[in-house]
Amino acid sequence: MKLALAVIVAIILAALAGPALLHWPYDAIDWDSVRAPPLSPGHFFGTDSVGRDLLARTLVGTRITLAVAIAAASVSLLIGVAWGAIAGWAGGRTDETMMRIVDALYALPFMFVVILLMVVFGRSILLVFLGIGAVEWLTMARVVRGQVIALKQRPFILAAEAAGARPAGIIAGHLLPNVAGIAIAYLLLTVPQVVMVESFLSFLGLGVQEPLTSLGILVKDGADDMDITPHVLLLPGGILVAILVSLTVVGERLRSRLTA
Amino acid sequence: MIVYTVRDLCVQIGARQVVAGVDFALDEGECVVLVGASGSGKSQSCLAPFGLSAGSVTGSAILTGTELIGLGEDGLRRKRGSDAGFVFQQPMTALTPHLKIGQQLAEAWQQAGASAPSRDDLTAAFERVGLPRPYELLDQFPHRLSGGQRQRVMIAAAVAHRPKLLIADEPTTALDAPLRADILALLSRLRDEDGLAMLLVSHDLASVATHADRIVVMNDGKMVETLDLGHSRLLPEPTQAYTRELIAASPRLSDLPPALPVVGEPLLNARDISVTFPRPGWRRGTFTAVDHASLDLSEGEGLALVGGSGSGKSTLARAIARLGPMQAGSVHWRGMALPPRGKIRPLDRRHIQPVFQDPVASLDPQWRVTDIIAEPLRHLQPGTRAAEREMRVAALLEEVGLDPSYASRKPAQLSGGQAQRVAIARALIADPQMLLLDEATSALDVLVAGRVLDLLADLQHRRRLAILLITHDLAVARRLCHRIAVMSEGRIVEEGTASGIIATPQHPATQRLVAASV
Repeated sequence: MKLALAVIVAIILAALAGPALLHWPYDAIDWDSVRAPPLSPGHFFGTDSVGRDLLARTLVGTRITLAVAIAAASVSLLIGVAWGAIAGWAGGRTDETMMRIVDALYALPFMFVVILLMVVFGRSILLVFLGIGAVEWLTMARVVRGQVIALKQRPFILAAEAAGARPAGIIAGHLLPNVAGIAIAYLLLTVPQVVMVESFLSFLGLGVQEPLTSLGILVKDGADDMDITPHVLLLPGGILVAILVSLTVVGERLRSRLTA
Repeated sequence: MIVYTVRDLCVQIGARQVVAGVDFALDEGECVVLVGASGSGKSQSCLAPFGLSAGSVTGSAILTGTELIGLGEDGLRRKRGSDAGFVFQQPMTALTPHLKIGQQLAEAWQQAGASAPSRDDLTAAFERVGLPRPYELLDQFPHRLSGGQRQRVMIAAAVAHRPKLLIADEPTTALDAPLRADILALLSRLRDEDGLAMLLVSHDLASVATHADRIVVMNDGKMVETLDLGHSRLLPEPTQAYTRELIAASPRLSDLPPALPVVGEPLLNARDISVTFPRPGWRRGTFTAVDHASLDLSEGEGLALVGGSGSGKSTLARAIARLGPMQAGSVHWRGMALPPRGKIRPLDRRHIQPVFQDPVASLDPQWRVTDIIAEPLRHLQPGTRAAEREMRVAALLEEVGLDPSYASRKPAQLSGGQAQRVAIARALIADPQMLLLDEATSALDVLVAGRVLDLLADLQHRRRLAILLITHDLAVARRLCHRIAVMSEGRIVEEGTASGIIATPQHPATQRLVAASV
């Protein structure tokens, strides 16, 4: 858990500060050293097939991937918590209807939906944020609804009603603070999923546009050249795996601690 | 013949010594009761020697000639199966929901090493524990049974293989008073018929005294004293102060009637209240929880709603306090109609404040005590300044007997009794004229419940509170209430002065309650 947290913090810091410290910007081509191996002068991790500094590209790619992931996860948090809290609190017909909508959306092949959005509205990072967030909130809504229903039956909610609190006040004052811990744990589990989706979309060529890059694009480029220059795949691939594993470990640990 | 001997038993969980040096012996047909507050180590003393606790055990526990301590998991399992039977507190959760009752009993039978029992065997076993229509029962699922019936099934399973020793851990705590007496009588009968040695755990000394040969009083993991009841079955004069306190803590019907506040102007008139719920599951129609119930309450007056579980007393009280649904009827407060739950304004709630059964669940775990207590002020007297709120919270903490330093704690840092005091403080801060006490002391330990009851009686006098008390304990009812209304199947079947109801109960439901309370 501590190790996983340290890995996440280190990767975020490197992604934020790293590119500014490097000599080569991510989109500059060093015509003298195309496909340079790791540890060559000026390029600590070598360069890619057109001579761009791999470390700089990977750090910028990590930045983009994490930004997409955090933004999409936040969208899913907002929609999911609101949807779940309202359905759970209202109960009855409203709850039924709202949760059937969630079930219906679950049934859609969501990767297909995102790809369709990309094709119809064109490629933009904003759309990637929204598209992924809009399909990732379903699990959050279910989790929050379950929690709200369990909490609703606790006598402290009834006591708050007797104390004159209005429904909005009870939801904001009593329900959401008690749901927050679990919601954050699930949020941490959503982030790696979003990272995967974003990488996959970019891998298919539907994500961010060149020369801007993301981990998914880097992995794709690396995979094209992996027989000649394996390091071009290994660096972004390794960072992707480290992010996914660490976030999942932290999220799982938080979730089991909060639900126990 | 001695069945079970425990010598110098110690149980340690982590760094904490939960049982320190407990000794007792059980002869055939004898009943020993371990009594104490929660956390006194009484359950641990019973369960740990059988490997049913997380603690590490030292000392000696000899069951029918076999030393249990150090026996190992396999040996213990065999011994538990053949020579000991167990009954636990929660009959609702002790049965597997997806297996038929008959299958579960047969399983208990086979685990003891017997061959598969026939249907007749199973029917006879259910008949023995006094279950109605035992033959049909075999094919039913646990959810069709009431709490008392489930506890009988558990007992049938525990004694099916004719064990030498029956261990019952608070077997009646989750049941209401008449059922409690029935289950204890059943256990006594089984003991006499089979010569079963019985080890009972209870926190209520009075209710088990008539069935015990010896009572071991425990406190803080240690034995305080052993009371020998002998053949007279009379409680001897205790020698220890702790035991005396334990006996005095729970109010008894034989106590002198307490002085109650003088009754003043009429406050509350509830007329023809009916509450129905849709039937659960796929069945159509509705289920009537409260059926045309009416009641009145005046300033300073206590009214107890008593009845078995499921009689509708909580539902009625919540409907009146506008905290639950209500399909028909009217409630007037000082002659003014109280709007229904959906239309009530916060200010209308000022007069009636509730205190619930489960003290810990009544407090928001995320809030600090001071915010919890001040919550009604914020909604019911919105103009109050922060400084004044703090002052009133401090004053109330003192009034309910808590140190002002508790204000900054979270509910997780409170004991059950302290949490209930906080809940009482919250109910009082907006100066209500009526309290709704929904089993407010029944989830607490005997000693703690006694003190909370003293506090409530004190507040009732000082603030001239009207009290609507929901309970299944007539002694608690008489402690705080002028009048008692008995509910059965959603109707108020009998109402009268507390002393009158207790002295000459008319309705069968009342008679059952009174008989169980003596």
